[in-house]
Amino acid sequence: MVLAVASRNLSIGYEELDSVVWAVKNVSLEIERGSAFCLAGESGCGKSTLGSAIAGILPPHAVTKGVLLVNGKSVINGEVRDYEGVRGRRVTYIPQNPGSSLSPYLKIGGQFYHVLKSVHGLEKREAFAKARDYLRKVELNPDDVLERYPHELSGGMQQRAAIALALSTGAELLVADEPTSALDAHLRLQIVELLRKLREENGLTLIFISHDLLLASALCEKSAVMYAGRIVEIGDTRRIMEAPAHPYTRMLIGAIPRLGDKRPLRSYPGEPPRPGEEKVGCPFYDRCPSSIAKCTREKPSLVPVGDGRYVECWLYA
Amino acid sequence: MPLSLSYLVKRVAWSITVIVGVVVLSYLIIILSPGDPAVKWAGHPRGPGAAKAVEQARKELGLDQPLHTQILNFLRMVFTGDLGLSIAYRQPVYDVLWRNLAATLELLLVAYAIGVPLGSFLGVFAALRRGKRVDGVLQAIGTVFANTPTFWLGLAIFMALLPSGFTAYGRVNVSLALSTGFYTITGLYLLDALLQLNFPVFVDALVRLLPPALAVAAYPVGVCLRIGRTLMADALLEEYVRAAAAWGVKRRTIVWRYAFRAALPGLVQVSGLAFAYSLVDAMVVEYVFGREGLGRLLYDAVSVNDFRLAIGLLVIVAAFYLIVNTLADIAQALIDPRVRL
Amino acid sequence: MSEVKEVLELSHAVRRAWIRSTRFKVGAALSSFVLLLAILGPLVAPYPSEGMGAVPPTAAERTGRPPSFEFPMGTDNLGRDVLSRVLMGARLALIQITTVVAASLAIGLVVGVLAAYYRGPIEVALNYLTEVFLALPAIVMALALRLALGQGFHTLLFSLILSWWPWYARASFVYARSVVEMDYVLLARLAGVPDRVVLLRHVLWNILQPVLVQAITDLGSVLLEASAINFLGLGLKPDEPDWGIIAQNGFKYITSMPWISLFPGLFILLTALGFSLLGDALREELDPRLRRRWKLWF
Repeated sequence: MVLAVASRNLSIGYEELDSVVWAVKNVSLEIERGSAFCLAGESGCGKSTLGSAIAGILPPHAVTKGVLLVNGKSVINGEVRDYEGVRGRRVTYIPQNPGSSLSPYLKIGGQFYHVLKSVHGLEKREAFAKARDYLRKVELNPDDVLERYPHELSGGMQQRAAIALALSTGAELLVADEPTSALDAHLRLQIVELLRKLREENGLTLIFISHDLLLASALCEKSAVMYAGRIVEIGDTRRIMEAPAHPYTRMLIGAIPRLGDKRPLRSYPGEPPRPGEEKVGCPFYDRCPSSIAKCTREKPSLVPVGDGRYVECWLYA
Repeated sequence: MPLSLSYLVKRVAWSITVIVGVVVLSYLIIILSPGDPAVKWAGHPRGPGAAKAVEQARKELGLDQPLHTQILNFLRMVFTGDLGLSIAYRQPVYDVLWRNLAATLELLLVAYAIGVPLGSFLGVFAALRRGKRVDGVLQAIGTVFANTPTFWLGLAIFMALLPSGFTAYGRVNVSLALSTGFYTITGLYLLDALLQLNFPVFVDALVRLLPPALAVAAYPVGVCLRIGRTLMADALLEEYVRAAAAWGVKRRTIVWRYAFRAALPGLVQVSGLAFAYSLVDAMVVEYVFGREGLGRLLYDAVSVNDFRLAIGLLVIVAAFYLIVNTLADIAQALIDPRVRL
Repeated sequence: MSEVKEVLELSHAVRRAWIRSTRFKVGAALSSFVLLLAILGPLVAPYPSEGMGAVPPTAAERTGRPPSFEFPMGTDNLGRDVLSRVLMGARLALIQITTVVAASLAIGLVVGVLAAYYRGPIEVALNYLTEVFLALPAIVMALALRLALGQGFHTLLFSLILSWWPWYARASFVYARSVVEMDYVLLARLAGVPDRVVLLRHVLWNILQPVLVQAITDLGSVLLEASAINFLGLGLKPDEPDWGIIAQNGFKYITSMPWISLFPGLFILLTALGFSLLGDALREELDPRLRRRWKLWF
C-alpha cells in the first residue's frame, strides 16, 4: 500500500543572508491515499512550507534535510530535491492567492491550454473542450470564463478557476494551501463544500492547509497541528476538536467562538517563536499553562496516546 | 477593444498642441536671438541679391506686424508645409525633410529590428543564468554598449571596414539603381526594392545599411539586455510562475509564455523610448558614414546658415518623438490586458 | 525627522555599496580617475599649451605621428600632442556635465515640485511646458541655437539644459505628487506653516534622493550627448580641447591617423561608464530587490 505522502525527519529551511532559517523541523508523517488531511496552525508555523515541499514548488533558496516521498517516489532526500514527473502528474496545487497565481497576460482558456498541453499533450481544440468540463465541475459557466482575463473575474471565480486548473492535471494528490484565506467569509464554506464534492467524485487525496481548524473539521478526517515548524499533535480531526491533548491545541480550540457557547474565549499571552529562533526545550514552553521543569530542558517527541492520536508533549510521555 | 477612439482623439489633439508649442518656441528663437530675424531667415545672404532676399524674408515672416500675428502666420506656414525654399538645397524645405526622414527612418528601423530582439534575448539568457558568470559578463556587455558614444562606434566600424574596400557612401549604388530601373515608392529603399522584386538593389542597399545600423544598434542592445534581464528576473519570481510549475507546465512554456510574456510590456515601453532617443544617434552615424538622411541636413544647414531647414528639422523631430511615444503607449495597451485606454 | 533619515539613507547606501558592490567600486574608480585627470591634467600634461589648442613651433616636424613613447597618444595633423589635448579635455568634460546636470536638476526640481504642490492651472501650464521641451532632443536644439547664437560654450550649455530639465521635472512631479498627498504635508499646511517652508523641508527633501541618484547616472549620458554635439560642430569652437571636438578633428584623418579620434572616444566611454555604474550601484542599494541566490528550479 503506497502512501500518498510519507516523510521522515524532514526539515526545510530558507537561506538568508548569512544563516539558514528553519521553517519545518524534523517532521515525520504519513498520509494515506484517498484521505483528506489537514495541516493546521498559525502563520509562520511551517504548514505552507511543508505544503510547498509536497507540491514541488519550494523556492531555489530553500534547503532540506531528511526524506520526503510522494506516492512512493523520493522527492526530497537530504539536500537533493527531484520532482521530475511529479509536479502536475502525481501532485497538484491550489494556491492561496488566486489573483496573483494566474498569469495576467493569459486568458483562462489559454492557461488551460498550456497546462493540458504540457501534462497530457492535448492540442487546442481538445484542451478547450476539457477545460469546459473542468470549469463545469467547479460550478463555473465556461462561456463566462474561458475568454476572460483573470483580472476580469471576481475573487471567488478566480479561486474556482484555479481549482479547475489544478484538477485538470489529473493528479490524484491535491495540496490546497489556505484556499479560502483570500476570500470573503461567505465564500469560504462554498469552496470547502466544492472541495468535498470534488474529492468524493474523483477519489482524490486532499491535503488542506489552513489556520482555521473549524473549517478544516468540515472537510478532513485527519489533522496535524503545527507549531514553530514541528507537528505537536496529529490524529482524528473530530476527536482532536472534542478533546484536544496538546496545550497549544487546547488554546486554539478554546479560542474558537461558537454560537451558543457563552464561555469566555481563552488565549495564552505571548507569540510563537520568530522563524529562525532556536530554543532549548519545547518551543511552546513560555506560553504553556501546564509546563513542567522538563519542558525547558529537552524537546519532546511524538508519542502515541491512543486512538491513533500522537502528541509531542512531556505531559504525555 | 483595449483602445478607445476618445483616447486616440485626445492624444492626437494633445500632440498637436505640443507641436504648436514647439513651433512658437522656434519662432521665438528666431526673433529673440541677436541679429535681424529677416537676415537670419534669409540665410545671411551675400552678394548682389542679398538686400532683396532679406526684404522678401521680412515680408514672409510679417515682421512689421504685431507679435501674435507673426506667430499665427508662422504656425500657418509650418502646418501648411510652406517653409519656403531650403537655402542649402534650393528645394522646398518639407520635400527635403521628407526624403531624408525616410532614409533615417530606414536606418533606425533596421537597427532596432536587429538590436531589440538581440538585446532582449540576451537579457532572457542572462536572467535564466542569474548569478552565474555568464550573467555578470552579459550585464557588463550591456552596460558598455549602452554607454558607448555612437559616433565613436560608427568611426570604429567605418575604419574596420575600410581595408576591405568598403567605400560605400550613400544608400545605394546609383549606377546599379539606374541600370535596374529602380525607383522610389516609399523612400525606404529596402522596402521599395522588395516591392519591385529588384534583388540586386535590395542586396546593395542592405550591405550599405548594415554597418551604420550596427553602430546605431549598440544602444538598444545594451538597454534591452539590461532591462530585459531585470524584468525577466522579476517575472521568474512571480506567483503565477510558481503555480504554473505546480500544475506541470513545461519549463520552456513557463519561460516564454509566462515569464517573458510578463517582461514584454516593459521591454516595449523602454524600446519605444530608446527609439525616439536614437533618432539623433542615427543622425550622427549618417554623418560619419556619409549617408543621406537627416544627419547630413544638420551639417548642411549649419554650413549655409539655413534657418528654414533647421526649424523644419526641429518640428519634424518633435513630431517624430510624439508619434513614437503615442505608438508606444498604444502598444502597451495592446500587450498588457490590464491597461485600457 | 524625515530629512535626517533621508540623508542617513543616502550615506548608508553609499557605504553599503562601497562594501558590497563591484559595480560601485569600478564606477567609483573610473569616475575618480577622470576627476583626477581633470584636476591634475593641466599640471601633468607634457604640452599644456598644445592641449589648449596652440600649435607649437616645432609642429611641422611631428605631424601625424602614431603613438610612441614620446607621444603616448600620438600627434594630430597639426603636430599637437594628443595626450595633452585629451588630458585638458577631462577638465572641460567635467565642467560641461556638472553644469548641465546641476542646472537641469535645479530647474526640473522647481518646476516639478511647484506643479505637484499647487496643482490646478499652474500644474497644467508647467506640464505643458515640460512636454514641449521633452519633445526636443539636444542635438536638434543645438542646431537651432548654433544658427541663432553661434558656436560656443553657451550654445552647448543651453541646448543640453533645455533638453534635460524636463526629465527631472517629470520625475520630480511624479515623486512630489505622492509626497504632497501625505498626511504630514497636509498637517503642516493646516498648521499654517508657510508654503515656502513646507515645500523646502518636506516635499523637496523627500524627493531629492531618487532624483539625485538619477542625476549621477545622467552625468554619463550628458557626456555622451555633449560629445556628439561637439563632434558635429554644433557646440564648442574647434580648437577647444573637448573630447568630441578632438574626435571631429581626427575624423578627416581617420584612415591615416586613427588615434586622434580613438583616444578621446575611449575616454568618453570610460567616463560615461564610470558614472553609469556608480549610479546603477547606488540605485540598487536604495531600492533593494531580493538578493537571494536563484537558479532555474522548474
